[in-house]
Amino acid sequence: MSDPIDLALIILALPLLACLNAAVTAVLKSSLSKVAHVPLVLSCAIGAVLGILLLLKVADGETHRWISNPITWFAAGNLKVSFTIAVDPLSAIMLAMVTFISTWIAIFSSGYMHGERGYGRFFAIMSLFVFSMLGLVLANNFLLLVAFWEGVGVCSYLLVGYYYEKPSAAAAARKAFLVTRLGDVGFLLGIFLLWKMGGWNTDLSALFDYIAKTPPDQGELTLACLLLFCGAVGKSAQFPLYVWLPDAMEGPTPVSALIHAATMVTAGVYLLARCAPLFAMCPAAQITVATIGGVTAILAAFIALAQNDLKRVLAYSTVSQLGYMFLALGTGGAISPVFAVTAAMFHLFTHAFFKALLFLSAGSVMHSMGGVIDMRKFGGLRKLMPVTHLAFLCGAAALAGLPLLSGFWSKDMILESLEMAAEGERYTGGYYVLLLVSLITVFMTAFYTFRAYFLTFWGPERIPEEAGHHAHESPSRMTIPLMILAVGAVGVGIAVEPFNHKFSHFLDHAPTLQLAFATSHAPVLEHHGFNWLLASIGTALALGGLGLAFIMYRKGTETLPAAIEPVFALSRNKLYVDEIYGAVFVKPAGVLAFLSGAFDGFLDAMARLISSLPRFVGWWVRPIQNGLVQFYALSMALGLTVLLTFVAFKIAR
Amino acid sequence: MEKISEIVASPVTNRTLLLLLVLVPFLSAFFVSLFGRSSRRIALTLAFVHLGLTFFVVVLGTMHLNVRAEGTSSRTTDIVRFHPTFIPGDTAGKSGEDGRTGWTLMRLTDAPTSANRSGPYVQFFIGMDGLNLWLVALSSIMLIPAILVSWESVKTRPGAFYAWMFFLQGAAIGAFLSFDVILFYVFFELTLIPAFFLIGRWGEGSARRDAARKFFLYTLAGSLLTLIGVLGVVVTNPDPTTGQITFSLPDLMANVQHWLKVAHDEALAGKPEKLASLHTTQMWLFIAMMAGFMVKVPIWPFHTWQPAAYGEAPIGVTILLAALLAKLGTFGILRFVLTLLPDAAIMYGLPVVGSFAAFGIVYAALCAYAQRDMKLMIAYSSVSHLGFLVLAIFAFNAEGLSGSVLHMVNHGLSTGAVFALLAFLLDRYRTTQMSQYGGMMGRFPNFAVLAFILCLASIGLPGLNNFVSEMLMLAGLFHADVPHGHHYTLAFIAAFSIFLSSWYIMTMLQKVFFSPLKEPLPADPETTVPASDVSRREVFAFGSLAGLCLLLGLYPQPILDSLKTDVKALTQIGNGARARVKGEPVPVESATPPVSTANPTPPPKIVPKKGGGGKKDRKDAKGGGGEEEE
Repeated sequence: MSDPIDLALIILALPLLACLNAAVTAVLKSSLSKVAHVPLVLSCAIGAVLGILLLLKVADGETHRWISNPITWFAAGNLKVSFTIAVDPLSAIMLAMVTFISTWIAIFSSGYMHGERGYGRFFAIMSLFVFSMLGLVLANNFLLLVAFWEGVGVCSYLLVGYYYEKPSAAAAARKAFLVTRLGDVGFLLGIFLLWKMGGWNTDLSALFDYIAKTPPDQGELTLACLLLFCGAVGKSAQFPLYVWLPDAMEGPTPVSALIHAATMVTAGVYLLARCAPLFAMCPAAQITVATIGGVTAILAAFIALAQNDLKRVLAYSTVSQLGYMFLALGTGGAISPVFAVTAAMFHLFTHAFFKALLFLSAGSVMHSMGGVIDMRKFGGLRKLMPVTHLAFLCGAAALAGLPLLSGFWSKDMILESLEMAAEGERYTGGYYVLLLVSLITVFMTAFYTFRAYFLTFWGPERIPEEAGHHAHESPSRMTIPLMILAVGAVGVGIAVEPFNHKFSHFLDHAPTLQLAFATSHAPVLEHHGFNWLLASIGTALALGGLGLAFIMYRKGTETLPAAIEPVFALSRNKLYVDEIYGAVFVKPAGVLAFLSGAFDGFLDAMARLISSLPRFVGWWVRPIQNGLVQFYALSMALGLTVLLTFVAFKIAR
Repeated sequence: MEKISEIVASPVTNRTLLLLLVLVPFLSAFFVSLFGRSSRRIALTLAFVHLGLTFFVVVLGTMHLNVRAEGTSSRTTDIVRFHPTFIPGDTAGKSGEDGRTGWTLMRLTDAPTSANRSGPYVQFFIGMDGLNLWLVALSSIMLIPAILVSWESVKTRPGAFYAWMFFLQGAAIGAFLSFDVILFYVFFELTLIPAFFLIGRWGEGSARRDAARKFFLYTLAGSLLTLIGVLGVVVTNPDPTTGQITFSLPDLMANVQHWLKVAHDEALAGKPEKLASLHTTQMWLFIAMMAGFMVKVPIWPFHTWQPAAYGEAPIGVTILLAALLAKLGTFGILRFVLTLLPDAAIMYGLPVVGSFAAFGIVYAALCAYAQRDMKLMIAYSSVSHLGFLVLAIFAFNAEGLSGSVLHMVNHGLSTGAVFALLAFLLDRYRTTQMSQYGGMMGRFPNFAVLAFILCLASIGLPGLNNFVSEMLMLAGLFHADVPHGHHYTLAFIAAFSIFLSSWYIMTMLQKVFFSPLKEPLPADPETTVPASDVSRREVFAFGSLAGLCLLLGLYPQPILDSLKTDVKALTQIGNGARARVKGEPVPVESATPPVSTANPTPPPKIVPKKGGGGKKDRKDAKGGGGEEEE
């Protein structure tokens, strides 16, 4: 138990056991399926406790990285892939966060999914997801990472398609899987390119060390980094592949909270944080990452402005916040990668709390509204659902970045990293623009978050027909997780970073970040303490957004002045991106497929034409085709003999 | 106890077992044909008997291959050859192994030849090595689901049906095991007859006769060209000392390498004419030999027989066609084209055949997406997947070759399994039209679980079998060293094919398993009982395949280990050919571990690792990537 690797393996094994258990229960169709949530809750809870133990161990230890003995998965030629895991500050923090959040979401789900037909199935797949996610975090081999990466993807697919009879859910599941898989093509190519120039290594640690020691051609490395980034773009729903995430809201709400907000979608951010040593060497790749992040952040925030579906507002907000994380990661070439990665990881950490909270609150609303999530159909729920209301308020305030809440600190760190990058040496203009973009996004974030808040909880009470008579506060199984996460959303930021710098000191020790720091081209910039100016601008913008939302929506209904109606229409229609993709990619692919199918008929006709020539000849020799097998066999043997005789004569000569 | 182990380990037992592997299917075919209705039970029992035999061969074979990989029997010359073992009729007699057989079928000369030298004999030369062992195992395994899914559906003359199935299996196993080029050809052609009758007589559609005829003519035309190509190689490469031609593959490949080496030495000394003329000959022979294999695989544009044949054949036969017969083509390329025409394989493999294959990957994937019938969709998907496999073979390096051999097994398993899934639907409803189905997940939950596992395996989900081999093949393409190559493009297309396959499979899953419930008319119109979920027979058929997919996905290394020596021989041939094409001296193999010396900067022109053949190198190879960690 003492070894961190053993501890990590136990944490990893727990959800797998839960999954196997759930599978067995489902097959046996026993009465146990009513308590199908118990294994998952238990394994996550124990995992969380162990995860915190592990965190303490990693913080105290002399060494900061433990790598397990590799066990060969497959090896041939120069490719060797092994099962191997690494525990370092980065993975430890993710491990603790994932298990902690999943515990509460699992408890929440047991209430939310109560009475659903696929209760057992749901928890089996959730367990498999937690297992894959933990594996993804721990993997120290690129292809093993891919394995878990695809594993979380499949779980996401199955859970988005949980209500499989709903055509929209079925379509969303397929879209989620395919769009992320498109990014994975790039990811795989990047891995093999790195394998080729990294001394045939696929183990992350060995590969980074090798490349740091013998830096390859800059252009090729940049290409490889960008290809890796493709994978992250798909998984973390960045522009241009973000379109699957809003649709993925078709899944049950706890799934949206766990997979599509707190954990899986942050895998791309985590991947880039892990690969910081590579990215630190390529400033060109970094500015690309930051630009994509910036474009995504503002684009998604804009689309979130006018959505009527509460979950979709949150989904676009997730996309936008992930864009923030990439903005921070993208500064790693211009400033110390340690700071950049810390900023991104810190935002990832706090975001997991407040976004999970927001989704669960939305789930609680949806639960009592009888499955309705359109904000036009309900309102004024403040009195009806006091706990949910408060929880949502905490989450919204944290997301908007109101001072002292957790979102404030992490967002501030990102702004700071951008500001420092704008003062750096390379691409200063670019980073300056990105800083402005992110400031505008702060304003928009506060606005759309509080728009959703006011529309849902303020004004006169309105309850849709679907809710029937049982519109009420959710049971305690659902409200307790809300309260816990609300405390986290409010306090987790201030507890670990602004005054004691625990979070950044902890991550400082991560060997990959140290390596990234050593390999980066960045000038060493002194971290000049808390940036009051930037923080006040950010706060002012956030409060401005809140204020505007208050003015416009405090009545709980949406009445738009005619002047901004077109803008909102554009936002409501998601900038027509889905339609554009449909027209540019999906339709043409379908047409191309149809044409290929038609062409194949033509090809077949050509083949027939050619083969009809012998048939014409065959008219002469028709009597031979008598359908007797013996005859065919005989003629085959005869033919062979003739040929062999010919050969024999040829050599005898 | 000792006595038993002695008998088990003796060469005679091994040889008998191997001979039985080929003979038992033919005997079973005869036996089964005597029965009528009860034949399915007997067929299943016999298939299990064969599986048991195969199990023994696999166990003994892997032990043997792993011992061989230790490198005690290797020779230190720069001419490499296959070392088949378990050869029935081994000339060394009961005690040891000689690597040759005394079972001559036909002599083309009366002149006595000296011992240990092969003459122009057509021999019954079968043997086992790392390349064919697993394919034989696949042939043995796949017959069982093929019989199980035909259980209810084959009603007319079941005895004859199962007899032809066994015949097909026997011929395929014979072809995999052959080490005599003529014997291979005979077995290769022998598969046509059962396939022809199975499609034509028991086929499901109205166009079955047409499909059978097309299949027969197409493949026959192709393989006749292949025969000409093979004979061309035989005639142009006589034994350097005796001047005799030979049909034995190990000898023939040694001869080929000898003559190329002679020409290469001359070319290095400044007289390139001989090498150039050899290369020209190789080009023509390559075209001839590839013709048959390209049809059989099939590679675009020679694939048009395949959707028709797969679509019209009864589902059990489709399983065997997809799992076994398609592999005969890829196996033929691996076994014969690479060894007998190595220079042409380097010159025209990736650039020409590879381009066709790569185009076919995308084209067939698009066609698959356009299909409305699931059976045709999977037929096209097979074209797409096998294009990837052919690319990896022509990458001609350790990763690509190991990956492609493994992928032959994996693809056989998973494509066969996906076809088998259709049998479940066909038994209950009459159609495989996608548009008639919907919401099967709720209708048949247990079936859905198995179907998802198998479909996910076929799109290369990690943890399941295809992922491993696809990654190895992709690595092979990245590592490929082609003169005037455009292999990054090919690697990109190959990687993209992984996406494409999930594109059409996921679309199918969405239509059939998700969405609101939609059921076609039941197969039996009078029935009032709603169709039931998987029966025990089906659980066994699908479940065991799913289990194998999982096993091979998590623990493929035993297979890869057993391949090592043979793949090494092939890569050595490949490196020699590459050097000749480039006009460089053949790389001298270094005794040092490969990677520590490997050049870190972009693709090292000559990869030191592949050069080996000597004892030391073999030992190093065992450690594999172990040293790469540094």
